[in-house]
Amino acid sequence: MSKYGGWAGKVLRVDLSTGRTSTEDTIEKYKDYLGGTGIGYKVIWDEVPAGTGAFDTANKIIFAVGPLAGTGAPCNGRTAITTLWPTCWPRPLVASGHMGGNFAAELKYAGYDAIVIEGKADRPVWLSIVDSKVEIKDARQLWGQGIRRTTVEINQQLGSEASVAAIGQAGENLVPMSVVINSYSHSAGGVGGVMGSKNLKAIGVRGTGSVRIAGNKAEWEKVIKMHLSLLGANNQHVVPNSPQPWAEYYNAGSRWVAAPGRRWGAADPNIDTGICEPHNLNKIAYRTNNAAFFLGERAWQYTIRGNGCTACPIRCHTMLRVPAVAAKYGIRETGQNTCAGMVLGRAFFKKFPDGPKGQTAIEACMIGMHLADDLGIWENYGQLQRDFQALYYNGIFGHKVEQKEFKSYSWDKYEQGDPAFLFELLPRIAHKEGELATALELGTGYLLERWNIPEQEWLENPNLLYWKLGHPKHHANEDAGQCGVIINTQYNRDAQCHSHSNFTRNGLPIDIQKRLATELWGSPDAVDAVMAFAPMNVYKARMAKWSLLRKELHDSLSLCNWMGPWVASPLREREYRGEDSIESLLYSLATGDRKSRRELDQVAERIFLLNRALTIRDMGTKDMRTKHDTVPDWVFADPKDNAAFGKGTIRMDRDDIKLAMDMYYEEMGWDKKTGSPTREAYQRLGLGDVADILSKQGLLA
Amino acid sequence: MATVEEQKETSATIAEIISDRSKAGRLIQYDEILAQLRERRLLDPPEDDTEKDFEALIEFALHGNKDLREIRGRAGVPFYYSAESLTETYADILCWKADNPLWLIAQVVRDNSQRYPLPVLTDSFREPPFELTEEEIAECLKGLTEEAEYQDIAQTITSIGTRFLYSTRHLDHDHASMLAEWLDVGQMNNP
Repeated sequence: MSKYGGWAGKVLRVDLSTGRTSTEDTIEKYKDYLGGTGIGYKVIWDEVPAGTGAFDTANKIIFAVGPLAGTGAPCNGRTAITTLWPTCWPRPLVASGHMGGNFAAELKYAGYDAIVIEGKADRPVWLSIVDSKVEIKDARQLWGQGIRRTTVEINQQLGSEASVAAIGQAGENLVPMSVVINSYSHSAGGVGGVMGSKNLKAIGVRGTGSVRIAGNKAEWEKVIKMHLSLLGANNQHVVPNSPQPWAEYYNAGSRWVAAPGRRWGAADPNIDTGICEPHNLNKIAYRTNNAAFFLGERAWQYTIRGNGCTACPIRCHTMLRVPAVAAKYGIRETGQNTCAGMVLGRAFFKKFPDGPKGQTAIEACMIGMHLADDLGIWENYGQLQRDFQALYYNGIFGHKVEQKEFKSYSWDKYEQGDPAFLFELLPRIAHKEGELATALELGTGYLLERWNIPEQEWLENPNLLYWKLGHPKHHANEDAGQCGVIINTQYNRDAQCHSHSNFTRNGLPIDIQKRLATELWGSPDAVDAVMAFAPMNVYKARMAKWSLLRKELHDSLSLCNWMGPWVASPLREREYRGEDSIESLLYSLATGDRKSRRELDQVAERIFLLNRALTIRDMGTKDMRTKHDTVPDWVFADPKDNAAFGKGTIRMDRDDIKLAMDMYYEEMGWDKKTGSPTREAYQRLGLGDVADILSKQGLLA
Repeated sequence: MATVEEQKETSATIAEIISDRSKAGRLIQYDEILAQLRERRLLDPPEDDTEKDFEALIEFALHGNKDLREIRGRAGVPFYYSAESLTETYADILCWKADNPLWLIAQVVRDNSQRYPLPVLTDSFREPPFELTEEEIAECLKGLTEEAEYQDIAQTITSIGTRFLYSTRHLDHDHASMLAEWLDVGQMNNP
């Protein structure tokens, strides 16, 4: 028996060029990087040379989970998929996509912490993993099929309990804006084309093993129960959105939407979500209904139930039944997804005949899920739709696309908000049919380059929410002022960090948020009321560092950073405190490798630093401050020209953001002039060898 | 005059009456408790001294049951509840609701504008625990503009036409309108 619990103990290597499969010892090679993105970055650093293209055979794609995947720890269903990112412009850089569902647990039960896919098959294949039996199977009969049919066919072979992660036609056609999806709706954006470039249609995995918990079982159960008690609703919103008898606070912005009279109307019998008192752990799943939150009150009548990932009681995906779409559009009347995936169809349109929360908008969402989750199209956190609207309404499509092709689209339908328009658009994107679809499927950066549109136009437009490198912002200044800005400068795609926004959006009154912020980051001034931002201070830099490290920690342990961290709670008796050490408590008990919160944060910092080193190496510059950590111009503007730091604006001040970056680099121990980590920073985290390599290339600060 | 034992028994019954009402998510008034006690024949029929005795019994019940609370509306009318079932926030809302819809709306709006700070969706007053009708809300919106004591309650309309209310005591217009836009549109576009 391995010394450690938590980890399965093996990393599976699959060379599609040779057909050879092998395993490595996880602990020996990757323990210092935990799992998930940690393993992903390590493999890319060690094995994928700078200058490699995203669709080159030399690129690798790593499906990795962490020591908490497949355990009883809440919210452990995340699989990190790391590779060189095809939509990262003007060159591919390392990034990761994250899918929930059941894949992570099945992979652990099969005995693996990660799958490293390398090379390229000479024909379409799929990877079958049933415990220790690994086979590369012919996928020619699946090629050309959508994700749903592929999933069904592989499940028929492996059994219904197997988890299937598949690409659709978009991935097959090397569409950069494509996804891989497991369990029908759990997607990881951006990586479908990389799988397609390797002729890998799907991975089906079935495991019959278990994950060993190394620590005291009673203590483990106690920590699990404590963790469950701290959970709020989706995104760790800890107060309900309407007054409840038990609730001291309520907040209209909260995703805790359960209330008496709000019913899952398409369930049979239908279910009243009722009073979800926070100590009733059996009703956690009733708290969230993201269809109702995003689509409006009408969505309650169409709700069947929530759906979600292994060991997560939140159920952030909502299953809907909308009978009208079967009759009107000939598609399935059921669909499921969450957040950006759920509203994918609606977001293409500027208006609908019955408004943005009416029946037509819901039907657009249903068609969007039906098409995109089968074809495997990625929306890049809404950037695809924002680009589409801007390009159409600014007349750019009309100029860049030949008239015959332009007229082949029913623009009258589009302008009127007819969801049927999506049947014309989305399949063409997946199949790269015509100039319009071909440009859109590239992703924003490469689209702008193809059509000679200066990126500056996108950087200045506040409606496009574009940030840099071909990607949008993801919880930036609108959520957390300077802290959000710092976080959005750090990655090579949208930041996908929720550590900060899950705190600022938790629904608690600002005075309580400030009390908790004092305990966490040293001062109430770390957080501001939304749209009433104060100038930069060092506590905001500390919050930014904490947020980034928690994101990497979650992505490496397989905890969900969309739900955590859990530093606030719905519990009045705890004065709404959560537990800042929950990750280290779970990690220590699961693995038997006792680490304090501070020690585990250091591991997270090592992982984050390796991401930074990879970015420096592949960009070939150490001047990260001006070449990478950039902030778009729209952040420094306001539609009413209100000054920064006024109430009612999210406008930031340029000098203040320079100060923010100074403070952040200082907190990280990096060089302030270049924004590059110093040798000391690498050495402190056990990455002296990385510093040596960068030093030889003149890339060390 | 009741014996000490009788006082204790009646006080326990009062606590039970208050708790039961709170478990149903409601406040209870002084007169309602009195009526229930009389129904159970724990108080004599109305006489001059009965009310005084009753006040003492209520005091006794509150003193002996730490979860019980008294809350008074603007007119000074006392309501009672158990903090084991209702929070102070919820009790406040029920107390405002017992006053009149204008006062309810104004107080909820002031509380949200100060505490979070956030404006309040006008349509949310149709839902529990407010449960105002569309007509009542429309009437209130008119009243808010006309009556002097509500001049701090202002409106803002989002880009998709949704009406929110805020208090100028705690939010200025630009801030309130941006926050309303954030609640109604921004959060949906920034999931």
